[in-house]
Amino acid sequence: MSARARAVLGAAGLLLAFQGAAAACGICVEDKIAAVYDHAIVTQALGRKHHVAFFLIDGPLVPGAGMRRAIEALAGSAHGVDKGSVRVSVEAASLSVAFDPQRVPFATVHRELDRKLSSKKLSLLPTRVMDQTAGLRAIGRQ
Amino acid sequence: MQPQAQSGIGIISRVNETTRYTLIQEDSMTTTNSLARLLAFSAAALILGACSPGTPPADPYDQSKMDLKPPPAKVSSERHKGAFAEGGSLSMGAELKPLDPAPVKTVRLDTTHKIIEIAPGVKFSAWTFGDQVPGPTIRARVGDKIRFSMTNRSDEPVPGVQLTAAPMMHSMDFHAAMVSPQDKYRSIAPGQTIEFDFTLNYPGIFMYHCGTPMILEHIAAGMYGAVIVEPRNGYPTKVNREYVIVQSEFYAKLDPGGRKVDGAPLYVLDGDRLRTSQPSHTVFNGVHNGMVKKPLPAKPGERVRLHVLNVGPSKTSSFHVVGTILDRVWFEGNPDNQFRGMQTVLLGSSNSATVEFMIPEAGAYIMVDHHFANASQGAIGLISTDVKVETKDLEHHNIPASATPTDPDAVQGKLNFESKCLACHSVGEGKKLGPDVAGVTRRRSDEWLARWLKEPEKMLETDPDAKAMLKEYNNVPMPNQSLGDAEIQQYIRYFHWIDAQPAGAAKAGGAH
Repeated sequence: MSARARAVLGAAGLLLAFQGAAAACGICVEDKIAAVYDHAIVTQALGRKHHVAFFLIDGPLVPGAGMRRAIEALAGSAHGVDKGSVRVSVEAASLSVAFDPQRVPFATVHRELDRKLSSKKLSLLPTRVMDQTAGLRAIGRQ
Repeated sequence: MQPQAQSGIGIISRVNETTRYTLIQEDSMTTTNSLARLLAFSAAALILGACSPGTPPADPYDQSKMDLKPPPAKVSSERHKGAFAEGGSLSMGAELKPLDPAPVKTVRLDTTHKIIEIAPGVKFSAWTFGDQVPGPTIRARVGDKIRFSMTNRSDEPVPGVQLTAAPMMHSMDFHAAMVSPQDKYRSIAPGQTIEFDFTLNYPGIFMYHCGTPMILEHIAAGMYGAVIVEPRNGYPTKVNREYVIVQSEFYAKLDPGGRKVDGAPLYVLDGDRLRTSQPSHTVFNGVHNGMVKKPLPAKPGERVRLHVLNVGPSKTSSFHVVGTILDRVWFEGNPDNQFRGMQTVLLGSSNSATVEFMIPEAGAYIMVDHHFANASQGAIGLISTDVKVETKDLEHHNIPASATPTDPDAVQGKLNFESKCLACHSVGEGKKLGPDVAGVTRRRSDEWLARWLKEPEKMLETDPDAKAMLKEYNNVPMPNQSLGDAEIQQYIRYFHWIDAQPAGAAKAGGAH
């Protein structure tokens, strides 16, 4: 089984999460993904056979550029996260990162991000992983 | 004399017979009338009984009879590659096509990013549905089903221009639908396709727009359009002309990078203006003063119906037509919400109205947002009796200027042709990107046409006529439109109908 297949299966093995949490425009999971979807990051990552993971941010968020930059810096320093690939929307409470699934499995990336963000009393709820162009796969938490 | 007398008697006799016959008829009619009166009385009694307290009349908006259980939406990674907008119910400009009789309307509106000209020299980086701003107008009636599909093609390069906004996620929000937003209005990534169905339950003029955050930006960048839903039994009045007017604002600023398009400066969305509701342009149908330069035609004495939608995203419209009085105003486009004799109709963001008025005499009647700050930014247009228009522009809902097929297959073929083919083909007006279809049934056999419409790419490999045509038309191949056999036969019926008309009589409408 290839590393990519293992990563996808690992993701698929997680529970599907937060499907019903939405209530209106801007609250849907896809809308939160849209807030941090950066086509250049996605194209670059998929071109290198990396994946892009999308998360909801849970915890106290203070709207503003300072909070966004702080989360970007913490997430960017997490093991396995591609340099410069972090995108954060404080307003939508969402985050995306690119990573190499052959080097670091998704579960590790998630754990490392959570560890980094715990200093801000924040945690991440995984929603989707993009492993191919136009392919947003559902994902959840163990 | 006797013969004369006999003859005379005979004549009298016939008169008497006629008289008797007439009398019998009258007796019969009297009997019939009596029966009719009795039946009418009985019916009236029944109706009165039905209207008596305790038995309310049937509610045309009985929600227990509405289709409120559409199947779940489907999202796939299949990228549509054909036309950006498809469907027989679509009108591309102000002039509305007649209602497509099909009870299921298949509608495709793909999202694109492109440069549009919102005012002379103002080339704006827009986001679109169906590759135009406003998006195409969907026309249907209560009870119809919309079978909708949309591919996010914001990542497709625009030929020659690489100045559009970065690809991004988009979605579709139909105000005409009663569905779960979390299922049907999901945002999809570039390259993805979403498909869903819904049934039209209420008549009205409804907005559609992209609902992906920031929604304000997506609407201000051009992602909106109108759905016209006629009452189940049609409108209660008849008109000579029918148009759709979509009012919207643009918030444009010069590109900070100083980029240019064809020598003209590029304009991009101005976030500061947008957040403070200070538009740079307020327009009808996407263009500053657009219908001043190209007035909508009408004639003295004619009755005009306008379907007016104020998209906003942030301004109200006080819609007025200088020189006439709005005889009827159906707020939100529903004849049950009727006002008479109005001077203006006030429309908030996403409000709409259908207005009808008469053109009293020759002149140019000015459509305007009576908030004159908005009018001065371009929300102005004309309905003029002096418009010299091409024949095809004279074609409208009630008085077709050109011949129209009556065979249902040919009618459907015409609708399909006008929605999918007019960009590249004309009917009797010469070559465009592809051949003029007038005379095509004399040039090609039905079998050849069917194969060509079904699999043009295979024909281009093997068929000498197809190869020659490709060369003649600058190697621009005919795209495979994925047509079904029934649809192909409808096209061929339509082509035969065209060729059966006197030269120049058949025209295609609907393209603008």
